[in-house]
Amino acid sequence: MVKMTHVTKIYAQDKPALKDVNVAIEKGEFVFLVGPSGSGKSTFIRLLLRELLPTRGDIFVAGKDVVHLRSWKVPHLRRNIGCVFQDFKLLPNKTSYENVAFALEVIGRSRHVIETQVPEVLRLVGLGDKFNSYPDELSGGEQQRVSIARAFVNRPPLLLADEPTGNLDPGTSLGIMSLLNRINRTGTTVLVATHDREMVDSMRKRVIALETGKVVRDQQRGVYGYED
Amino acid sequence: MRINLVYYSREALDSFRKNWVMSLAAISTIAISLFLLGVSTIGASVVNDMMRSVESKVKIDVFLKDTAPPADIKVLQDAIIGWSEVRELHYVSKQEALDRLKEDLKDDPEMLKQITGNPLPASLEIWVKDPRHVSVVVTRIKKEQNLSTLVADTDKDIKSGKDVLDKLIAIRQIMNASIIVMLGLLGFASLVLIANTIRLAIFARRKEIAIMRLVGASNWFIRWPFMLEGILQGLIGAALAVTLLAVGRSVVFPQLKEVLRFLPIAFTQTAFIRLVAVLAAAGTIVGLAGSGVALRRFLKV
Repeated sequence: MVKMTHVTKIYAQDKPALKDVNVAIEKGEFVFLVGPSGSGKSTFIRLLLRELLPTRGDIFVAGKDVVHLRSWKVPHLRRNIGCVFQDFKLLPNKTSYENVAFALEVIGRSRHVIETQVPEVLRLVGLGDKFNSYPDELSGGEQQRVSIARAFVNRPPLLLADEPTGNLDPGTSLGIMSLLNRINRTGTTVLVATHDREMVDSMRKRVIALETGKVVRDQQRGVYGYED
Repeated sequence: MRINLVYYSREALDSFRKNWVMSLAAISTIAISLFLLGVSTIGASVVNDMMRSVESKVKIDVFLKDTAPPADIKVLQDAIIGWSEVRELHYVSKQEALDRLKEDLKDDPEMLKQITGNPLPASLEIWVKDPRHVSVVVTRIKKEQNLSTLVADTDKDIKSGKDVLDKLIAIRQIMNASIIVMLGLLGFASLVLIANTIRLAIFARRKEIAIMRLVGASNWFIRWPFMLEGILQGLIGAALAVTLLAVGRSVVFPQLKEVLRFLPIAFTQTAFIRLVAVLAAAGTIVGLAGSGVALRRFLKV
């Protein structure tokens, strides 16, 4: 599903954000990407989304050569990747239903598809009774659920989550993680960048640890492993 | 596609309403530019018509000595009429010249009384086919043999409206050049203003745009509402300019005709419709170019 070979990303001279990263993630895996701030987690995610191009190396996502992808084909790549962020990125003037529907509208899905898919995915994330609530009427956890619903409504094969629980209390975070886990069990590959220690330790999933741009650890059923 | 079009237009109109002050600035600049483009087009057309009418009236007068032998006059007449540039030649006798003067002065009996005898010379009036050939014909007349027996002074007595014509042409060229420069500057100003309103529109929607990119909306899907907004501004500007021109045409033209009764002034309906089409096209192009500039600079997709 994701394959990086010898990927190096250098923003300013002599300060690489990623150094010779080699990672392979199989279809259906659930992977934590951990590391302190500045270790290159966000760069990793942005490279997969092709918001950035690597300085060196090759990246394949869902069978597509991301580095050599024509720029007009980038939107099609992104339709295959669901994205969840720490700050939810919801539109404040739209209800939860409209926020999810927006994602389908702008890729040209028909009204019929929207009217069947949106309620279904909102029920899946546990917001069956909050269709008409605006983001400021929802709790942080509920907002993140809307954002997961939006990322998942198109049934992408890969879901990326960048610090999805960064703004949430531990109890709520647990709910979000189990939701991501549920999504993973439907066959979707899930990659979560986080520095939520307890979460990583309790889930016992594959852990890829980054430190100053290098992969320092990659283990199945791993733990967070830093003392910070 | 139908849904998309509705979506694009809704987005464009929405953004238009939110930024109406900037939009108004852009629209009025386009309206003024296109209005001036229209005025100068109409003006140029009228001036061209006038000049053509003046040009067709340009003739060469060869004033003859009273002592000129009729046989030699006949020879010169036959020679000139044979030239390919010459359209028409008319011999004006002393009597005819006097009759014309009396006709011209018939409203002024005081002046008429002053005329005693016939001080006027006979002359040859020559019309050329193309006004540009006036000087060629004049030079050739001057080279004719026996001219000294017919004409007293080859400079003073061979006259043409060439000087007036040259001045008219020069004025027209200066006029056209300054109009083009002015239109260029105004066009640039409109473009910059449209680009700026679109920039504001992009800024106002940056959150939506970020999400659209994230979920994989195609680049053109993101661009279209902004392009439409630019085109809309261009077209509204063009519509305003056309309205102004139509009003101006119905008010100013009759008065101009009154003042310049001796000149043909006309700007036909078909010409006006063509002008409307040109202005609409120009508005659209400026709108498109303006939003294009803004999209290139501020919307990295």
